[in-house]
Amino acid sequence: MNVDCNDRDRIFEDGTPAEWAALEAHAASCPACAEEVLAWKSLSVAAKELRDYSDSPSFWPRIERALAEESARNSQRAERKSWLSFLPSFSPAWQTALAGVLVLVVTISGSWIYFHRPVDPGKNDKSLLQSSALKEVESAETAYEHAIDKLAADAKPQLENPATALLANYHEKLLVLDSAIADLRAQAGMNPSNAQLRYQLLAMYQEKQRTLEEVLETRQQ
Amino acid sequence: MGTTGLALPWKARISSTLRERGTRVEPSEHIARGPSPAAVDATSEDAALAAACRSGDLRAYERLYAMHGARMKNLARNVLGSPADAEDAVQETFLKVQRSIASFRGQSSFATWTYRILINTCYDARRSRMRKKEVANDDSEESPRMEPRAPGAHPTLRMALERALGKLTRHQRDVFLLYEVEGFRHAEIAGMLEMTETASKNTLFQAKKNLRQMLEPPRAGLGAAQTR
Repeated sequence: MNVDCNDRDRIFEDGTPAEWAALEAHAASCPACAEEVLAWKSLSVAAKELRDYSDSPSFWPRIERALAEESARNSQRAERKSWLSFLPSFSPAWQTALAGVLVLVVTISGSWIYFHRPVDPGKNDKSLLQSSALKEVESAETAYEHAIDKLAADAKPQLENPATALLANYHEKLLVLDSAIADLRAQAGMNPSNAQLRYQLLAMYQEKQRTLEEVLETRQQ
Repeated sequence: MGTTGLALPWKARISSTLRERGTRVEPSEHIARGPSPAAVDATSEDAALAAACRSGDLRAYERLYAMHGARMKNLARNVLGSPADAEDAVQETFLKVQRSIASFRGQSSFATWTYRILINTCYDARRSRMRKKEVANDDSEESPRMEPRAPGAHPTLRMALERALGKLTRHQRDVFLLYEVEGFRHAEIAGMLEMTETASKNTLFQAKKNLRQMLEPPRAGLGAAQTR
């Protein structure tokens, strides 16, 4: 193998044993390369001056003690965690996910209980009358009933002996209305706070009032 | 040049016996030469050592120390400059190995992995020391200040080399120390420093070129010495 001065750096960097042998053969006849090769190899020899493998008898015991202490600390940590021994089978990601699910379940359960809690039926139902309002309604109803009774007393002679078929029909209608009013009053007596029943009763009274007025109008005609 | 006073008179102080590359005693020659029965044994021993360490057997750590402790301490000393800091770094390395052995997947050899931890620990210690110096407004030079150690055959040469190494880049210094001082092969160094084998060879070449320039005796002095 032939090498020259130009191959020197390449061989220094990554030369094969054969290339090194060829470079040394070349250096035998090339003073510049001989000096470079010598200096290059001398660096490797000089590097051995930085080797100091003298033993320090106390060094391994010191490391051993540190390793044993670390090992004992790890054991203590493991013991402290032993009451959570069911958790280590899950990775931290799974543990986080489980905790999230638990929080979600608690939140949903709390919300469900809050929105479905039992409430006092009389407290917030607007369809039911309060005691003071009920008294007002009942007194107004009584007054209205008396006024209609007066009208009924005026129309009574005509209705008991109807002169026409129309009056006979009015008489029938008033009997039906009185029956409906009696039913509603009975229901209102059992459930006095029910405003809906009161509205229906009012409608019946109004209808009876209109009918009696129409009967009285026929008499005037 | 700052190292002129410590320049290396190559021909006068160092044996001119050229080292045969083939005679280099390597810790893991099997890596370069392909698997041999001995290499297979070494690999299985490395794996067995890793498994024993993983099981928490302190005797396995003692075996790791017996095999690599002296070299680890020497490497740490050459990076950090102080035997006390080197011992701290090696001890910290053993603790880190113990803490993270469960994460060792065997992608490199156990020894390579351990040296990688050692090198990182040394540079962490260096950075920490630098920060302390900055806080104390210390203007001392960045390279490690070498503390005296057991005298060798060429104490002046060693001091010159230590000072010159301090002026190399981190990678150049690491590769030089691992290859030339500790005797690792480029394949092993590549694993330790997380670089390619080619990059390791190139870095060593650059390191030695720089060292050659820094340690080269002044021409005039050399001429005078030669005339004597």
